[in-house]
Amino acid sequence: MSSSLVKGAAAQAQATSSKAVTVTSPSSTPLHPVQTKQTPLAQTARHALPALLTCLFLVRFPALVADPVSTMTTTLPLTAALQVSYAVICLPAAGSHGAKPARKPRPGEKKRIGAEGTGPNAIATSLLSLLLSLLVMPFLYAAFVLFGAPFLTHGAHTFLCAAHLAVLALFPLFYVHGVDAAAWAAVGGFSAPFDEAFGGLVGGVVGAWLGAVPIPLDWDREWQKWPVTILCGLYAGYVLGRVLGGTLLWGRRF
Amino acid sequence: MPPPNPTPKKAPPPSDYKTIAAQFAAAKRAEEVEDADRKQTGIQQQQQQQQQQQQQQQQQQHQQHQQLHQAQEEISERERRRAQLEAARRKAFQARWAWTASFWVWLLCVHTVGIAYFTSGFLLTRRVLEEKSACDVPPTAAAGNNTNSGVVDLLPAWEGKGTVEGGCWHPRTFDRAVVVVIDALRYDFTVPVEDGEVFHDAFPFLWETAVREPNRAFLRPFIADPPTSTLQRLKGLTTGTLPTFVDVGSSFSGTAIDEDNLLMQLRDAGKRIVHLGDDTWEALFPGYFEANLSRAYDSFNVWDLHTVDNGVIEHIFPLMERKSEWDLVIGHCLGVDHAGHRYGPNHPKMTKKLRQMDSFIRDLAAAMDDRTVLVVMGDHGMDSKGDHGGESDDEVEAALWMYSPKGIFGRTKPEYATPPASAKIRPVNQIDFVPTLALLMGIPIPFNNLGRPIEEAFVGASGKSWANLAAAERVTAAGIKRYQNSYFSARGIEQASGDGSPSELWDKAEALVSRGKKQDWAAIFSAFAAYQAETLHRCKALWARFDLKNMIIGIAIMALGVVALLVYISKGEDDDVIDDEELDLAEKSLELQGIKADAASTPSDILDKSLVSAALLGALPGFIGGVISSFVSGVGDWYRGAGIAALTSIAAVIVRMYEAQDTVLEVLPKTLWGWMAVVFTVSQSVGFASNSYTIWEDSILLFFITTFGFVSALSALRLPSRADRYLVIYHSVVFVVLGRLASFSKLCREEQMPYCASTYYASAASSTSAPWQLVIPFLVSLILPSILKAYLQPTRSYEGLAPAWIGYVFRAGLFMSALYWLLDAADNGNWIPGFPDKTLKNISVYTAQMVLGLAFVAGTTAFIWAPPCVSIITSASPTQPSKAQVAILGYANAHGARYLLLPLNLLAACILLSKPMGGGALALMAWQLLALLEILDLNQLTTSPIGPVMLAVLGTFHFFKTGHQAVLSTIQWDAAFIPLFSIRYPYSPLVVALNTFAGQILATSVVPLLVLWKAGPKRKGLLESVSRALGAFVAYFAVESLATMAWAGHLRRHLMLYRVFGPRFMTAAVVLLVVDVVAIVVSLAGVRCNMMAIGEVFGWAE
Repeated sequence: MSSSLVKGAAAQAQATSSKAVTVTSPSSTPLHPVQTKQTPLAQTARHALPALLTCLFLVRFPALVADPVSTMTTTLPLTAALQVSYAVICLPAAGSHGAKPARKPRPGEKKRIGAEGTGPNAIATSLLSLLLSLLVMPFLYAAFVLFGAPFLTHGAHTFLCAAHLAVLALFPLFYVHGVDAAAWAAVGGFSAPFDEAFGGLVGGVVGAWLGAVPIPLDWDREWQKWPVTILCGLYAGYVLGRVLGGTLLWGRRF
Repeated sequence: MPPPNPTPKKAPPPSDYKTIAAQFAAAKRAEEVEDADRKQTGIQQQQQQQQQQQQQQQQQQHQQHQQLHQAQEEISERERRRAQLEAARRKAFQARWAWTASFWVWLLCVHTVGIAYFTSGFLLTRRVLEEKSACDVPPTAAAGNNTNSGVVDLLPAWEGKGTVEGGCWHPRTFDRAVVVVIDALRYDFTVPVEDGEVFHDAFPFLWETAVREPNRAFLRPFIADPPTSTLQRLKGLTTGTLPTFVDVGSSFSGTAIDEDNLLMQLRDAGKRIVHLGDDTWEALFPGYFEANLSRAYDSFNVWDLHTVDNGVIEHIFPLMERKSEWDLVIGHCLGVDHAGHRYGPNHPKMTKKLRQMDSFIRDLAAAMDDRTVLVVMGDHGMDSKGDHGGESDDEVEAALWMYSPKGIFGRTKPEYATPPASAKIRPVNQIDFVPTLALLMGIPIPFNNLGRPIEEAFVGASGKSWANLAAAERVTAAGIKRYQNSYFSARGIEQASGDGSPSELWDKAEALVSRGKKQDWAAIFSAFAAYQAETLHRCKALWARFDLKNMIIGIAIMALGVVALLVYISKGEDDDVIDDEELDLAEKSLELQGIKADAASTPSDILDKSLVSAALLGALPGFIGGVISSFVSGVGDWYRGAGIAALTSIAAVIVRMYEAQDTVLEVLPKTLWGWMAVVFTVSQSVGFASNSYTIWEDSILLFFITTFGFVSALSALRLPSRADRYLVIYHSVVFVVLGRLASFSKLCREEQMPYCASTYYASAASSTSAPWQLVIPFLVSLILPSILKAYLQPTRSYEGLAPAWIGYVFRAGLFMSALYWLLDAADNGNWIPGFPDKTLKNISVYTAQMVLGLAFVAGTTAFIWAPPCVSIITSASPTQPSKAQVAILGYANAHGARYLLLPLNLLAACILLSKPMGGGALALMAWQLLALLEILDLNQLTTSPIGPVMLAVLGTFHFFKTGHQAVLSTIQWDAAFIPLFSIRYPYSPLVVALNTFAGQILATSVVPLLVLWKAGPKRKGLLESVSRALGAFVAYFAVESLATMAWAGHLRRHLMLYRVFGPRFMTAAVVLLVVDVVAIVVSLAGVRCNMMAIGEVFGWAE
């Protein structure tokens, strides 16, 4: 944990020193990677929640294969709950100081915690972010259809799949960035620095993309049905991307 | 000269070339003056002075006349130099173009040789002969002509000879036959094997009867000719020929057997055939079977072990009670095969299945009478996993058992009384079943048969009837000889002669017959048997073997060709398309001083030249070496020279390119876009190893198209200019949405069922368009020209010929093709009753001809002679009213806008030929292409390989969206009759090719636009960039072709070879050659024409 923080600080120092050079995003000030909160609870949750998410998916997998629609419907609130608690516990809400670059993220520093608490209401922000994710869902659904998802059939399947994508990958970003256009442009243009939220998005999207690969195979397996593989790729990619984004890749830009 | 602002006062569009050229020359002179002003050099000062003097000529005094004269001389001298320079550059361009084109011709040759080499080892073809055997014309009558003096028939005439009742060519033995095919009945399932395996000794009845009652039954190994798939096997079992990849027959469509076969002979003799079981028979022999007695069952449901078998068993026994109602019963059981596929042979289910078969055959044998023969056979075996399709021993070794209570079967030697213990001993070929059954039932042997009668069935119960056996063997051999004569004369090949050749063996055998030594029947039998064996051996060598050596050489040539192409496109990616104002200005001043005005300094010595010479130099020794080696070794494969020449030639080219650049690592992409291009190409090529990915290729292509659109939309967020950002996002969305829209046009292949619904035609069982589809071409003619206009207008390029051509001629062409399809539908559906017959057809065909004439004849002429799509406007300068200001509309896209006219001509023709739904898909494709051009331009990706690769992906995608699949049966042969009443060469094949490969052809013709779009007249290195873009484009198809080739070769024993991998290879190979040819004939030629036209007007950029 401490190593990642040191690394993150170093990367951040580098980023600020070369600010003038690395202006690639449309906004004049480059986006800074988001630091998770430093409380012991936050640090524990940060590692436990991905594991919980994985467990949730693994436990629900047989049911998912058997009946995708009802399983996705019942799992969605659980996933959302996990994500909300993750956001509230670990992530700085949009507009709080934590969302801005932590100027001197010293490990073990306790003074700033109180300051973070004075930011915007975490619960309200998370609910608002959920609502925003909900609003984006139709666009995600359209994207799925454009990629070749069934257009007239399997509507509920595709829509629920989009809902999972929104709650997993987009919700944390809404929570930390709100509706900051410049931040979203950086995220969309892949010029944002890696952190847990951005890593989760990249991992989730790439995972869902790769999840389409086994569908055409003629293995006649139950789990090949729409959209089980996509959801698999999404969860696996999201967890992997979030963990990597928070540790190894933290602060890296491409 | 940046793209000017729109000027209110607009000159009328110039009507021809000369006007524009003159206008531009005037404008250019004016500009030179300004340049000179800026440069402030002495000469230019003087020029300016002179220029001003010239302008004020009327007011000048006499003493200045001298000076003026000097100035005029100066100007004419400069004009002369300029003309010289222009001529030199023009010549240099032509030379460079010729060398580039030569390089592409070389590449075409390499691809042709590679594909031809592989094909010669892979696609073995057999000509299907139409001839049928006739009952009253025994082959011995014709074949025996040369031995007229001798005995024509070995047997004394029998009662009813030459009739089906008595036996056409041989005395008849049985009236009826029951043939039970137990799918995948491997030989070792039927013989006692003491190893305790669950699949052994579960089906003992065949062995028992053969041992207990040798006169009533015999059991022998029954060797299948690969491929061991049921469909190919049934062809062999009924026609007596060897299967090959393509049976070049009269029709590609459908699987029905159209060559002479047992069932056809029976049907023609008025016999009644009943079929029970596997529905493959129904596909092969439609309409052959007694409809009220036959029962067909789905053969592909491998999970179901019982439905087919129970159906056969249930329906076959009642038939045994009513023997007068049929002459042949075919029962095809699938349970053993399905058990093998599902569980493998080593499973209790297999034991159960075999036991069921045992009791079934037991009961069936009990129901036989003296006039009926019962045949039980496996059509192939199964491998250790229970699958089949290849040529391993386990797969080809099936069992054959024949039974009749009449007791006519014998053995030629006493030790043969016991059936062979393994399939390696005394096997018979599956094709031997054909003459055996034919002669037993008294019908003629099918014309194409290569098999021989099985001796047990003819040698008599005592095993001594050698005369009968020899007669049967001879009449069969005569049939084979007759077939061979017809085959070789039809193919125009000489038959082999000399020692050990079939013809020599035949003569020997006939000599024995004519000697009249009747007691030596066994020798006569052996002589004819030797003839049959040798002929079969030669035919197998000719048809049924993959030639691995040739396949590997072909793959090697293609692989090296791909490497050469990759190095070619990666070479000097950065140093072309120079668009530098400073450099231009400096050069212009040098030009004016006449420094560069000689031809020698203009470079015509380019890479392509050295590559072509290297190719020729490399090819020469290879060719000579190859020819000499094949001559010396006496193999006679003269084409080996071409193969070796190709290899050495590519090697020489690669070495030359390696010299021309520093490192081979240049080949690796450096950007995200480059990697995307590689991933799209390579992942698909790897996917061709799987039948699933090959079957679902169209969905995968849509996935790639959408992926590209999303990535480009997201990458737009990195662009600095807000306007550019929105434009890229807009075009990306258009690109993706249109792709998804096009994906609704589908023609499903059989393997996609039931997950796919065809929409291309009115219904799954028709090949006509639904009425609502007829609206599509009208919409296209209404909308598409406006869209083109919208894409040309941002650069003010909707000038010159463009408004007339796109707005009127192109639109009229589209409207007429819409009209064609309306007329065609009216004709087909007889919508206008009472209209004279043929009138509608006449009108529609002439409409189609007019569209094609407009597209190709008028279109090409217009393209060659069209002035650039620009408009020159002269107006008063707002700051200096005394000076004229010249504005050229469409300058920034001078190259692209004009070139666009060429793909549009092709598009008009393809939309007509692609049927209404396909026309709509192609219109969407055209829109997508324009969006792609904008995306690439705005993202500055015009030199990235992603552009050509996306074009290739789009082209392939729309191949599927125009009602095609990578199978032969989706070729729309009826397209040949759109502009013609009957088949005419070379037009009909061209029309079918345009219909089939419309997507790829259109994409190829658009490749130059990747470079030319938004390129002004002063852009340098265009030809080289175009050639490189073509290289990347062709590389996509070359890699696909190489991959499908390698996979087809590697998976040549795969069950799906004939259904999936082979057809995909053939598609890829033909597409590659088509793309190569179109690249040379359309794209490169079009670029030449276009650059000449621009160069004539604006001067040469280099």
